[in-house]
Amino acid sequence: MENNNPLSPHIQIYKWHVSSLVSIATRIAGIINILATTLICIWFSSLLFGESNYEIIKVFLQSFFGKFIAIGITWSFSFQILSEIRHLIMDLGYGFELKTTNITGMIVIIFSFIFTILIYLLGRQFI
Amino acid sequence: MVQINLPKNSKVQKGEYFKDKTGSKNIRKVNIYRWDSSTGKNPRIDTYEVDMDNCPSKVLDLLNKIKNEIDPSIAYRRSCAHGVCGSCAMNMDGKNGLACTKPHSEIKGDINIYPLPHLKVQKDLIGDLDTLYKQYHSVEPWLKNSAKNNDKENLQSIEDRSKLDGLYECIMCACCSTSCPSYWWNGDKYLGPAVLLQAYRWIIDSRDEDKKERLQKVADELKLYRCHTILNCTNACPKGLNPAKAIAEIKKMLATT
Repeated sequence: MENNNPLSPHIQIYKWHVSSLVSIATRIAGIINILATTLICIWFSSLLFGESNYEIIKVFLQSFFGKFIAIGITWSFSFQILSEIRHLIMDLGYGFELKTTNITGMIVIIFSFIFTILIYLLGRQFI
Repeated sequence: MVQINLPKNSKVQKGEYFKDKTGSKNIRKVNIYRWDSSTGKNPRIDTYEVDMDNCPSKVLDLLNKIKNEIDPSIAYRRSCAHGVCGSCAMNMDGKNGLACTKPHSEIKGDINIYPLPHLKVQKDLIGDLDTLYKQYHSVEPWLKNSAKNNDKENLQSIEDRSKLDGLYECIMCACCSTSCPSYWWNGDKYLGPAVLLQAYRWIIDSRDEDKKERLQKVADELKLYRCHTILNCTNACPKGLNPAKAIAEIKKMLATT
């Protein structure tokens, strides 16, 4: 007999906290990074077909949208690497206390932005 | 499978509004999820104005007050009222917990009360926990020991006994399992935090002789490894236990033995 009773609300009502936000963001960043790596590979292979390809990509990356994407990818890489380090530590069995998870989660979020800014400044040769 | 939206028959509608009749000045609005199979309608949210001057401190007291004084038709599970039986597990203010231990003063604004998330609703705040109990049964939560002389006490060292601390206190209220997104999307296959904590409780028991078989039984891509350390479970546990850590310990044992 199929149960036709309604399903109680879940993600619509459940409150977010640091760890759940970091977890879902890691997944989204992961998907972005797969796409980004693919794009970078296509970019590299396109260079094999001549200089004009390099020019097109250069123009794109210097546009506002291109810069947005480049900085966005920098963030998603920084974020995922930090978050995966957090998960590695958790896989060793450490850092499961609620306070600790909140702190490490916040560290991941804050340092992902700091890394992005640092990499940006390094890239522009400001530091 | 991941289905973010609720099915058509589960969409929540606006329900009735019960105005305060006591004339009290200290009023709080309580929104409660209601569903009755006999009406053939979708679930709804009923709103009650409650006189807080004459209401004890916990959410369960609030529900009792509504049931006794405003609307006797509302259904919810409750028994001990002291956080021991686990009957009154529900979602309050977007977080799972026991209504009998959760003070309503901790909730800001209107008080929203829903059944435990992602369960088939039986009535109002009562969800169907059948699958969870079947999964609990599947980990064989009892001592397996072949010792023949059962007339002797089965002694355990203080150290071995202390390994059960933080595990034996679990009251199987299902707050953790029903807070877990992985359990929402794969609840038919993934065992969920509550059952895995129980599985670990028997794996780590020095008196149990079935450790290897128990470990092998849960070593499964779906049964165990759907845990992605989202940590909703540890956040939800009304007894302050740590199911996420128990799951991590099982993973660690499987990786190192």
